[in-house]
Amino acid sequence: MGMPISLALRGRHAGDAHGDAAWAAALEVLRAADRTFSTYRADSVISRMNRGVPVDTPPEVADVLAIGAAAERSSGGAFALRRDGVLDPSGVVKGWAAERAAVALAALPDTDFCLSAGGDITCRTGDPAAAPWRIGIEDPRDPTRIVAVVPIRTGAVATSGTAHRGAHIVDARTGRAPGGLASVTVVGRSLTAVDVDATAAFALGADGERWLTTRGHRAAFVVRTDGTTGTL
Amino acid sequence: MVTVRRISLWFLSTVAVVTLLFGYHTSTSGPAPVVTQAVAPAGGSTVTGAVAQTRWGPVQVRLTLADGKISAVDVVQYPDGNNRDREINDDALPVLVQETISAQSADVDMVSGATVTSTGYVQSLQSALDQAGLS
Repeated sequence: MGMPISLALRGRHAGDAHGDAAWAAALEVLRAADRTFSTYRADSVISRMNRGVPVDTPPEVADVLAIGAAAERSSGGAFALRRDGVLDPSGVVKGWAAERAAVALAALPDTDFCLSAGGDITCRTGDPAAAPWRIGIEDPRDPTRIVAVVPIRTGAVATSGTAHRGAHIVDARTGRAPGGLASVTVVGRSLTAVDVDATAAFALGADGERWLTTRGHRAAFVVRTDGTTGTL
Repeated sequence: MVTVRRISLWFLSTVAVVTLLFGYHTSTSGPAPVVTQAVAPAGGSTVTGAVAQTRWGPVQVRLTLADGKISAVDVVQYPDGNNRDREINDDALPVLVQETISAQSADVDMVSGATVTSTGYVQSLQSALDQAGLS
């Protein structure tokens, strides 16, 4: 099973061949990222590194590992690039790849886009007076419902939590599922940055809210495990 | 303004990417004006997935098969994009907390969450894939 990639376009190239070509280019960026980073592909660069095969590290791998290493430092080790000693940069790759994929969409003149990669969203609106994109924030206790709406013209929204897929994020300091927060949404300029920080804040658990206030993002929204919510 | 949507399922570690493409008015009433398909039809048999409820309304997907491969994906039922039943203030940037509302009735363009989005599309497509014995 994969991850749905959704795109909404409005404006000049929303329904034409230029829009189609940009969508195809965006998908190719995501496929290329999968070929390079997937831990499910034996021939990916990451899988070869994990087997100890000497590889020429492509610059994009160096980028992703550097972003992950910075997140490890800033989160005091709650965010981790390795799990059980195995390199797994998937906490960085999704947002990073989607942000790169959106470059092709941003090149469409007079066209607004909203791109979602498995719930991590980057969007642009050319006209500052146009209606913003409306991003629903999923209820971590019931994925058929939303708990908040983020109206946003240009920027990025990422949410981390445990809903549906189980406790796939652990606090690397303890190896256990973090407590305190049911989901964390971060709103900012760069999808790479908000995705990593949403994951790190979630992994920090009860410390995540205070930590997020130090990160300089545009806004953040949390749903706590007791059902209360907070806007930071 | 017409918003055109494209949905792709990024099947990690496989070569299969199925793209659904359709468009609809996001702010007008009435049925959606556009249904297109990402792959040209090529005859063969068809299977139709179950109707799945999405955040934008019901979606149903039909696959056309030729030589055991998907030759076309059609969205045979699609949302009209106008099921807002609750006004939400657009101007309250950047985060507006409302009481919890059904994702189906919320007028949103995308959903951010820890689960994958577009679940209904996945469900409908998955059921068609299951019927076709392709998954």
